[in-house]
Amino acid sequence: MVDHFKIARPLEFYEKFIQQEVRPDGRELGEFRSTVCNLSCITTANGSALIKIGNTTIICGIKAELASPASEEPCKGFIIPNLELSPMCSSRFRSGPPGEQAQVASQFLADVIKNSKCVDLETLCVESGKLVWVLHCDLICLDYDGNITDASILALIAALQTTKLPKVKLNEDTDKFETFESDLVSLALLSHPVSTTFSILGDQILIVDPTSEEESLSMGTITIVALVDKICMVYKPGGNPIASEQLPTLFERAIERGKEVRSLVDKTFSSAS
Amino acid sequence: MVDHVNELVLPGEILTKFNESEKTQKALLGPGLRQEDGDIIVSKPGILKFREPNVYWVDSFQKRYIPTKSDTVIGIVTAKAGDIFRVDIGGSDQATLSFLAFEGATKRNRPDVKVGDLVYAKLLVANKDMEPELVCIDSGGKNDGLGVIGREGGFMINTSINLVRKLLSAECELFKTLGKNLQFEVAVGVNGRIWVKSRSVSQTIAVVNAIEASEFMTNAQIKTMCKKLADTLAGF
Amino acid sequence: MMDSDEHREDRLRQMTCQLGQMLRPDGDTTLFMGDTCATVAVYGPGEVKMNKELLDKATVEVVYRSKSGLPGCAEKMIERLICNTYQTAILTQLHPRSSVSLTIQEIQNSGSFLACCINASCLALLDASVSMKFLVAAVSCIIDNDGNIVLDPNRKQEKTARSSLTFVFDNKDKKIVTINAKGDYRIEELNRCLALCKEASVAIFDFYRESMKKKLSKSMNTLKGDPES
Repeated sequence: MVDHFKIARPLEFYEKFIQQEVRPDGRELGEFRSTVCNLSCITTANGSALIKIGNTTIICGIKAELASPASEEPCKGFIIPNLELSPMCSSRFRSGPPGEQAQVASQFLADVIKNSKCVDLETLCVESGKLVWVLHCDLICLDYDGNITDASILALIAALQTTKLPKVKLNEDTDKFETFESDLVSLALLSHPVSTTFSILGDQILIVDPTSEEESLSMGTITIVALVDKICMVYKPGGNPIASEQLPTLFERAIERGKEVRSLVDKTFSSAS
Repeated sequence: MVDHVNELVLPGEILTKFNESEKTQKALLGPGLRQEDGDIIVSKPGILKFREPNVYWVDSFQKRYIPTKSDTVIGIVTAKAGDIFRVDIGGSDQATLSFLAFEGATKRNRPDVKVGDLVYAKLLVANKDMEPELVCIDSGGKNDGLGVIGREGGFMINTSINLVRKLLSAECELFKTLGKNLQFEVAVGVNGRIWVKSRSVSQTIAVVNAIEASEFMTNAQIKTMCKKLADTLAGF
Repeated sequence: MMDSDEHREDRLRQMTCQLGQMLRPDGDTTLFMGDTCATVAVYGPGEVKMNKELLDKATVEVVYRSKSGLPGCAEKMIERLICNTYQTAILTQLHPRSSVSLTIQEIQNSGSFLACCINASCLALLDASVSMKFLVAAVSCIIDNDGNIVLDPNRKQEKTARSSLTFVFDNKDKKIVTINAKGDYRIEELNRCLALCKEASVAIFDFYRESMKKKLSKSMNTLKGDPES
C-alpha cells in the first residue's frame, strides 16, 4: 500500500516525511549517509582511493606521466580529472562518449582543484620548461545512488593524498631523465577541500546528501566546497531560488562536514600505515 | 491596476493597485497574466491593457505563433497520412486536417488537396497538451471562405503576430484605403501569415510592401502611404 | 583600452543592447557590458526532438559557442548552468513537448562574461516574448589581493583576482537563483559581495525596462494616435 502511494505520488510521499523532519531512510534533513573510505586499493596506480557514501561508490585511480609543460607556464604540472558514468552504475547512462553529466562533473572537479589550490602545481615540476608531471585522475562510478559530486571530490582528494611519485633525475651520461621507482616521494597537499551538496525540495526545504530518488524530485541543488575555516567554492546552477538568509546555515553545515570527513580520512590513513 | 494600464510591464511584476469596486468583481485575466497564491503576476513583457467591464491582458510583441482555439490560420500541407493531412501552422507541433473537414467531402469524394498547398483553416482543437486540429468548414458545414487558397498564384509572407492583429482590428484603415485604388485578394492568418494576390506581380509586391511597412504606422500615416503607392502605380 | 573599460568599484560598466536585429530567430539580442559583448538568439516555443521531449514541460536547450576552439567540458558546464537557470525562470509548464532553445555566441570577453551571457539571454527571451515566471539579472564581482571588492571586473582585474563570484537574482522576490563563487574567500566577504551584487542587480532590471520601452515605443506611439478599442 505504501509502495503504491510512493509510486503514484512521490512528491507527496516525501513531503509527509519532511514535515516530521525526517527522510524515508530514517535520516534527519541535515544528516549524511555513512561514509566509508579505503585508501591505496589499486596497487598498480600511483595513488588510489575508494569511497562509499551510503550506496554511492566511486573509485579514483591516479597515474602519473611525464610530459613537456605548456609554454605559457613552464614550471607548472597538470592534474586532469575525468569522471566516468557508465551503464554499470545506473541504467540511466549509455555507453559511448561521456554524456553531459559526466563532462560537467569532470569540469567541476578540475575547478575545485584549481580554486582550492590543494596541490601546488609547481611541485609537479621536474625541470622547468622541459619536464613536468601530469597526473591523470580517473574516477569511475561503480554504483550511482545520488550525490556523485561529494563522493567524487572526496575520492579525488583522498587519492591525491595517497599519491607517491618516483624521483626523477637527469642521467648525465645519456642526457635523459630517469625515474627511480623505488625512491618514492609523497605528494604534498596544501589543503583538503570537502564538498557538501544540498538538494532543494519545494520552496524552503534543503536536504543534505540526496539519494538518487531524492535527486529526481529535487528542484535544484547547491554545492559548497569548504576548506578548514573558509569556503572555496559555492556552486548553484539554477534551480529554485533561495533567500540569502538561508546561506549561513548551509555554510556552517559544510564546514562541519569538512571537519568530519577530514578526521575520517586521517584515521584511515593512520590505521593503514 | 488603473495606474498600470497602458504602461510597460515585465515578467515577475506583481500587479496590486486595484480599484475598490474592481476588487468585488471578478477580473478576467487574458494572455500574459497569471494567478499565483492570490497575487496576479505578469508573465509576458508588453503593455498592460484593460477593457470594460473587467478584462485585463498584456499586449506583447511576438513572432512565434502559439495555437489557440478558433483562430483562422494559413497552413502549408506537408504530408498526407491515411485520412488526414499534416499541416504546418508555425507552432511547435504540426496540425492535423481531416479530409472530411471540407465542404462537400465524403468518404468517396475526397478533396483535391496536394502536398505543398496553402490552406486557410480554422483551429478546432488547440491546447498545450494535444496536437492542434484544423477544419475547413464551420459548424453548419459551409466553407465560409476556408479551404485551399493560392491555386492560381499569389504570394505568402510571414510577419509578426502583432501586425496581423492590427490589420484585423476594426480601426485599421490599410485594406480599405488600398482597396480604393487597387484590386487585390488577401487572406490573413492569425499565425502571422498573409497571402496576397493581385492583378499583376508588381501590384502584388506593392500590396505586400504596404502591409509590411504599416506595422508601426498610425492610421494617418497609412492613408498617406497608400495614396503615394497608388500614385506611383498609376505612373505619376 | 584602459579608459573605455575603467570604472569605479561600486558601479557596473555601461550597458547597451540591440534587440531584434536578426530576421529568423524569434528573439535576439546583442548586449554590451563595457567592452564585453555576447549575442544570443532564441527560438521558441518550437519543435523538439523526440529523444529530448518532456511530457509536461518545455525543454530548454542552450548552445554556447566561444570565439575560437572546439567546445569542451568548460563550455558544457556553462551551458548547463545557463540551462538550469532558465529552466526555473521560463514558464515551461505552458508549453509541454516543445523546446525553447538559446544560442549564445561570444563576441568579446573583456571580463564578467558569464554575467553578460545570462543578461543577454534574458533580454533575448524578452524580445521573443516567451512566458517567464520572473526575470533574472546576473552580477559578477571579484575580490582582489587587497581585499577590495570590484563589481563587473574587466579581464585584467579578473586574472589577478583572489576570487571571482557571479550571482544571479530574480526580480520577483530578489532571491538567489544561481551562484558560481570560486577562489579564496571568507564567509563575511561572500556576504558582502552578495549584498553589493543584490543592489547592483536593480540597475540591470532597470536596464531591461528601458530596453523594452525603447523597443515597444514604436507600437505605443501608434496606440496613442488611435482611440481605445
